Parts: sequence; structure tokens; C-alpha cells
Amino acid sequence: MAYHSPYKAPPHINAPPDQGFLWNIFQRVDKDRSGVISDSELQQALSNGTWTPFNPVTVRSIISMFDRENKGGVNFNEFAGVWKYITDWQNIFRTYDRDNSGFIDKNELRQALTGFGYRLSDQFYGTLIEKFDRQRKGQVAFDDFIQCCIVLQRLTDVFRRYDTDQDGWIQVSYEQYLSMVFNIV
Amino acid sequence: SILPSGNIPPGVNPEAYQWFQTVDTDHSGFINPKELKQALVNSNYSAFNDETCLMMINMFDKTRTGRIDLFGFSALWDFIQRWRVLFQQHDRDCSGSISGMELQQALAQMGYNLSPQFSENLVRRYAMRGARPGIQLDRFIQVCTQLQSMTQVFRERDTGMTGNIRLSYEDFLSGAVTRLM
Repeated sequence: MAYHSPYKAPPHINAPPDQGFLWNIFQRVDKDRSGVISDSELQQALSNGTWTPFNPVTVRSIISMFDRENKGGVNFNEFAGVWKYITDWQNIFRTYDRDNSGFIDKNELRQALTGFGYRLSDQFYGTLIEKFDRQRKGQVAFDDFIQCCIVLQRLTDVFRRYDTDQDGWIQVSYEQYLSMVFNIV
Repeated sequence: SILPSGNIPPGVNPEAYQWFQTVDTDHSGFINPKELKQALVNSNYSAFNDETCLMMINMFDKTRTGRIDLFGFSALWDFIQRWRVLFQQHDRDCSGSISGMELQQALAQMGYNLSPQFSENLVRRYAMRGARPGIQLDRFIQVCTQLQSMTQVFRERDTGMTGNIRLSYEDFLSGAVTRLM
């Protein structure tokens, strides 16, 4: 099966918000006024639209993407990136969550990922729903949707590094395979 | 509580039973990931990380409801105790964390044929910031469980036992998504 070039990040839909607006948000989220937003501060500030706590694993993934010094959180400059990242995903999610339920089903997930350039089988979409449906509803909520896209992106990147002739197939040893899935290549 | 106190059902570890009563703070008869996280600590008293808690909930949640009942918790309890013993055995300097070299020795004893560099890379990936390079019990459990599971995925595809596999893009994704979490 061929694979194409999924986006590195969601398409840039929003104009960048002004600094004063972001600073206000940053101060409200940074509850302990440390100048750094931690996992739990960000988690409390985020909503997945379904009245359940935001997936902590997604929060960790997002923070580690923007936390340059590995300090376990994001400062104001880095927060601008986090804010944009989340609002961009939110806009994408809303496009596919047509009934505004806070969840997307298998078909909507397929449309979204196809839009990003992924070409995957129907069976694999079933696997994705089963794995990322944290609330066990047969559908995927916003936070789990982001996590699903992050995981796919990471695995696709590592696959591409080994698929040097770009034919959609790789040959790897045991240790190479483990290094790929543990993301320590 | 779903059960009268002092009445431990057969097959349930008594220590796990006591913990379950304490941890099930909303007395729902089930433990969710948040309650589990509050119940488990590493040697340095840090809470277990979210990924490991979620992984273990998924392993022991036979009802597929995202939470575990008393029986699931008891099995999970025994599972953690077994890893804890192994962890302490290989934490030779009793630092409460396992270094790359200690992990390499633990994996070799479990029968894995992996390079020292592999263990070093794993530890570096999961090491806590600020601390000296090493992984706590929670990461040790996560890494060892995932290694078992991903080795199984590799073996299923290495039918000729050559130590090399040819893998399509979707098969690669599918193996990792299905078994890594």
C-alpha cells in the first residue's frame, strides 16, 4: 500500500493572536505563577468538549513538542506555539465533527486522515477507533483525536527514515524494529 | 462498596483488597486511571506516570470500560509486585532507579539479545530531567511490558526465524498501534 506525505502539523488556519491576548491566557493557566505551564495546569485549562478530563497523555505529547529545554512545561514564548497548535487542531476537528457532538466516528476520522494524505485500509481505521476511543463510545473525542494523529505522524516519520526507496516496504532487524517503535532511532 | 468489608472474594490478593478499598475513593466498585495513579508510587514517592497507568488499565480492564474492578486490580497488583521484585534485584546500587547498564543486565537475564546501546537509548529517552540517567519502576514496567509485546509482533512476522523482517507501511503502523499501548 502506498503512503503519501501527511502534514507535519495541522494547516495554519488561524491568524496569530496578539501578544496581549495570549499573555492574559498564559497568566490564567499558569496557576502557580511560576512562569512555566506544567502538564497539570495545561490539562485543567483544556476541554475536550465532553466534560471528561483532557487526555493526560495528549497533554504530555503536546508539551514535550514545544518544551525546548526539557523543563517539564512551557514558558510564555513556547505557549504561543502550544496555543496555535491546539486551536488549529480544534478547527480541523470541528470541520469533521459535523453534528458538534464532540466526537468523530470512523468515517469522519477516515475523511480527516485522508485529507492529511494518509491512505489506509478500512480495517486499520477500525483499529484506530478501537485504540484511541478512550471513552469507549465507538468514536474518538478531540483529545484522543490529537493523540491519534501525533502517534501516526511519529510512526510515519520513523518508517520513512527506513523506507529509503519510498516503496512502502522496509526490511529491518529485531533491534532496528524495536528502536523504531520505541522511537529511539 | 460492592462488597462487605472483611469479605475477600476467592482469588483476590488480601493486600490488593485493602488497597482497592482505599483507592476507590468514589466507592464505585471500579478504579479509573486517576484513582490508580494516586495509588501507585515509585521508590522516590513520585506518582506513576500517566502512560504506564493507562497501559495497565488497558491490560487489566476485561470489561473494556476504561476502568478496572476488584479482580482486575488484584491481578494488576500481582503484576506490579513481580516487576517490583525484578526492579529491586537489578537496581544494584539501590538508588531507586535503573541505569542503562542495569537495564541491559535485566533484559539479558530475561532472555533479550539486545545491544548495550539499545538500553542506554531507552533509558535516555525516559530518564527524568535533572535526575541522573535512570528509569523509575513505572517506566521499567512500561518498557519491559512493551518490549515483550513488540517482540511478539516481530516474531509473528519473522516466520523463518532469520532475525530480519520485511514489513509494509500499514503492517508497521498496525503492529505498533495495536500492541504498543
